[in-house]
Formats: sequence, structure tokens, C-alpha cells
Amino acid sequence: MTFRYLPDVALADIAFEAESDTIGGMFESCALAITDIMVNPLTLRARSSREFAFGPADLDRLLYDFLTELIIAKDVDSLLFKEFSVQVDTKGGTLKASAKGEPIDRERHELRNDVKAVTMHMFGVKNVGGKWKATVVLDI
Amino acid sequence: MAQASSFKQISDVSWEIPTSYKAGMNVPAKIYATRKLLEGMDSGVIEQVTNVACLPGIVRQAYAMADAHWGYGFPIGGVAAFDLEKGVISPGGIGFDINCGMRLIRTNLRYPEVKPKIKELVDLIFRLVPAGVGVKGFLKVSEPQFDEIMKYGVKWCAENGQAWEDDPSHVEEGGYIKGADPTKVSRQARSRGIDQLGTLGSGNHYLEIQVVDPSRHFDSSLAKHFGIVDEDQVTVMVHCGSRGFGHQIGSDYLRVFDGAMKKYGLEVRDRELACAPFSSKEGKDYYGAMVCAANMAFTNRQIIVQRVREAFSKVFHKDAESLDMHLIYDVCHNVAKVENHSYGGARSDVLVHRKGATRSFGPGHADIPAPYRAVGQPVIIGGSMETGSYLLVGTSKAMEETFGSTAHGSGRTMSRTAAKREVRGAELQKKMLDRGIYVKAATMDGLAEEAGMAYKDISEVVETMDRAGISKKVVALRPVGNIKG
Repeated sequence: MTFRYLPDVALADIAFEAESDTIGGMFESCALAITDIMVNPLTLRARSSREFAFGPADLDRLLYDFLTELIIAKDVDSLLFKEFSVQVDTKGGTLKASAKGEPIDRERHELRNDVKAVTMHMFGVKNVGGKWKATVVLDI
Repeated sequence: MAQASSFKQISDVSWEIPTSYKAGMNVPAKIYATRKLLEGMDSGVIEQVTNVACLPGIVRQAYAMADAHWGYGFPIGGVAAFDLEKGVISPGGIGFDINCGMRLIRTNLRYPEVKPKIKELVDLIFRLVPAGVGVKGFLKVSEPQFDEIMKYGVKWCAENGQAWEDDPSHVEEGGYIKGADPTKVSRQARSRGIDQLGTLGSGNHYLEIQVVDPSRHFDSSLAKHFGIVDEDQVTVMVHCGSRGFGHQIGSDYLRVFDGAMKKYGLEVRDRELACAPFSSKEGKDYYGAMVCAANMAFTNRQIIVQRVREAFSKVFHKDAESLDMHLIYDVCHNVAKVENHSYGGARSDVLVHRKGATRSFGPGHADIPAPYRAVGQPVIIGGSMETGSYLLVGTSKAMEETFGSTAHGSGRTMSRTAAKREVRGAELQKKMLDRGIYVKAATMDGLAEEAGMAYKDISEVVETMDRAGISKKVVALRPVGNIKG
């Protein structure tokens, strides 16, 4: 379960690539990348949890909706998450996830970038040689 | 990088790419740039502006301004106008930050009066105007009030004690664009936006206290029209947009348009160029929602300016009216609007997309506030927080050539990661202080990412647009205090 930034993809914004042996793990890596962009995750605590469910939809749409929901939680409920558990049913095209985190604390959290949106640029989920990969470019 | 030899040179600052350049181009593309700026542009700009030229119903030309750089779908610094019946509307031609724009207010203070109080002033504004990740504003409105804001923008502010009497007329479109339809806005967008009025956000957004630069006072007669009468007069500039509200509307409709493309048999060269006929249900729905975000953005900048007036009043122990803190102007640089223009020998309503481009209406236009009508619309072009900004004026040539449009800023040349590798936020903050710029930032990483070296030279961008005659320089504005989101 890993992600790496792609600094040359979008000068004004932030791009990353995530991968995992499992589809759920890859979704979790994408979520962790978004957290890492918004806050130093080491300063976050996993104090409250939230459940998410999406679908039926194709994998691209599930990932787009899941990541967008994390951005909405940041703006609407001031919530940032550091732990994720994601199950994706690839046949049924559904996603269930739980995320643990806490409300923004400007004294304690080392905040970074405010993410505006997930873009469609290079966006997509694919399986390469048994590994699940996604490329995501965020508008900052 | 772009190769100048591939294009037809029209003048020393403009180039044309003919329709023969790429299969499917409906109109030529035009780029405003010196040879140096053109050759420094990433090749993505050329690819994107010629992709835009392929869109259905585009009229006359697709434009890239001197600050153009790669964006999602359209280049940033891009302008395109579409026939209302045969043409399309594209969220990629507007950007996620709908009605990101610039607002400039004047004061009657001179720099020697402000210099000793700059820290107090910036620190107070930093407290009154929330900036950074997930911030909420101080202005609380009900759902019905938020609906009114979506429809009436700064007019709502004026009717609810959040604006001065002459503020709405000094905002593009009189403070609100007609055609807002709050029923086309999702629940998520409402939830993201309702608590964010009066917040700066982050990224490249800023609030800056500036001084008119005496060495770059280009046209003092024009400057007087805009209330700039002293060489070291203090002004305040605000750069921000519709916050999470507009971002969510952009996200919502990108999904809608992804499906609409198939429905209307439209094919585009880039997924971010997703579009729908302007006359279709999807096109009309997006326009109605997008206008809501544009009006929210006008309101957001208005609420911020009210807090800035409050801060100046507290620090200088005078009311803001006595400090002459009138709005010079407020312009959008990420929007699409129906405007009436002359082209092809006739006048017609067209849908003008400006993405990272500023309206630049010339003298005499009825949409310019009466005090400025004889000279043209103020154009505000923001630079990096280190290099300063410019006040320009719109021209008749812009009306003839670019649907009344010009550039918007300087444009990045370095990634955020690379900028952070080059300089640490705390070090940059100290260097700027040594140069007379006091900066408060929501985060030190965010500050490093916005270092001046990460941006193009704004002077060359402004000079190019001036030489092209589609906006004329009035004054340069030098930063002395900056709040970075």
C-alpha cells in the first residue's frame, strides 16, 4: 500500500500515483495521499469514525466519489482522516469504507494544502500485472 | 516548449496557428506573447488552445494570453467565445474555482503613515479573514439567505449592511450575473459553501496591502480616474473565488458532462474538455449553477473587504469612509458569460469563456461604471506575492480582437514540490521582511510554494498585453503586507 507524488504533472497542483495488491488497499492509499496533502498525518489522531458507501458504479466513478467525499468532509465538518478501511466489490461496483480521524485543530495539526477538487486529468484505475494502480491529479 | 517558427507571426507580440495545424480545428488559434514568452510556454498550451479551437460552435479564434500555461482542458490564460445555438459550454473553460477574481480598494493613506503599523494591520486582518485548510467564515447566513446570495451577490450585500452604496456598481456585472438557478446546485455544494463566506482559502490566493510604485506610474491621468492620486498611496488587493462551493459545482457537473458527451455525440480530445451544447438541459443547468458560484464569489470578496475596512478603521482610529476605502473595481478571471460583441461584421450575443483571463472592456461600454466609462474598465492583474501587481485599463482594441479580454496574472513556472525544495517558508518570510514585505501565512509550506521564483515575470506579461493594445498599463502596485492562504 503506497503512493508517490508526481511533481512534474501539474505545476500549479498536486498529482500522485497509488498502488496496492488489492483494490481496497489502492483506494486506501489514495485516501492517505489526500490526507498527506492536507495535513501532516503524524499530527492527526484517530478519535472519531465515519462510514461511506457508494455505487453501483464503475471503479473510476467510485474512486472519484470517495475522494470527493473526503474533501467535502474537510469543508463541511472540518474532519480530516488518518486511517482507512475500504472494501470494493468489483463485480457489483460498490464500495464500503470507514475512516478514522478528528476535527481540524489549528493549534495541534500541521496543516498543508487546501484541496479544491479531484480532476479528470490522467484520472483512472487500472490493474497492471496483478497490481491495482490509480493516478489522481488534485486541483489546489 | 513551443517553437515560434511553427506559427504565423502577426506582430512582435501576437502569433496565429492556422486551422491546418490540426485536424478538426474550426477556427484559428491566436497567442499573445513575445518570442521569449512564446518559446518559454509549455507545449501543453499549444496543444490545449488548438483543442479548444476544435470545439463545436466556437467563433472567430481561440486565444491564449501572455500568461498562458497548461490547465485542465483549456489552458489557463485562455479565452473562447461560442455561438449560443451551435456552441457549447465547458466547465474546463472556466475552472474549478468559479469566479476566482481580483478586487482592488484604495485608501487615502500614504505609505509613511502605514509603514509603522503594517504588522498590527496585517496581524489583525489575518484574524478577521480566515485562511487555510477547511476554514469557516464569521458571516452566518440561513439557507434562504444563501439562495439570495447565489442570485444577487453584492446587491444582497448592499441590502444587508455588508456593502457601501457604490460597491455593487464597481463590480463586474454590477455585483451579480443574471441567470442564477439555485435549484441546479447540489446539497453537497451548498453544505461546502454556506459557512465559507468571507474566507480567503489557500493555494495562490492572497490578500495584499500595496503601495503605488512611483517608478512605475505609467499614466497618472488615468490613475486619477480610478482614485489613485498619490505616488505612494496605499491600496488593498484581494485574490480569491467561490471556495468549496464553486469547487463542488465544478466537480458535480464534470460528472454530468462526462455522460452528456455521449448523449449529444460529442467527442473531444481531452476528458477535461467535457462540454455540452449551451442550449441543452445539461448546458443550461450548469450555467445556472455556475452563475450561483460566480455570485457567491463576488459576495465572498465583498465580505472580506468589509473586514479589511474594519481592520483599517481600528488600526488608524478613523472610520473607513474617512480613509476613502472605496472599491476601485472587482473583476472575474474564471467565468463564462453571455455578452454582446461585434464579430464577422455583425453584433451578436456569444458565450465568452475566460479561464485565467480578465474582461478588458474599452471606453464607452455601457457595462462600465459611469465614473470610468469614458476611459475604460479597470483591469487588475495579480503577480506573485514578491513581485507585485498591476492596474491596467481595457481598450477598444480588446473589443475588436479578443471579445474584450486580456491576461490575468503571471502563471507558475515551477511545481509546488520544486518550490519547497528551493526555499523554506520561514526563510522566505524573513527575506521578504528584509525587503519590506511583512507576510503572514496559514502554513509555512504554503508560503514556500508561492515564492516569487515559482512564477513567470509578471512585468513581461503586462508589457506584452500593453504592446498588443488589448489593455493599457496604469500603475504598478508593490506589496508591503501580505496574507497568504
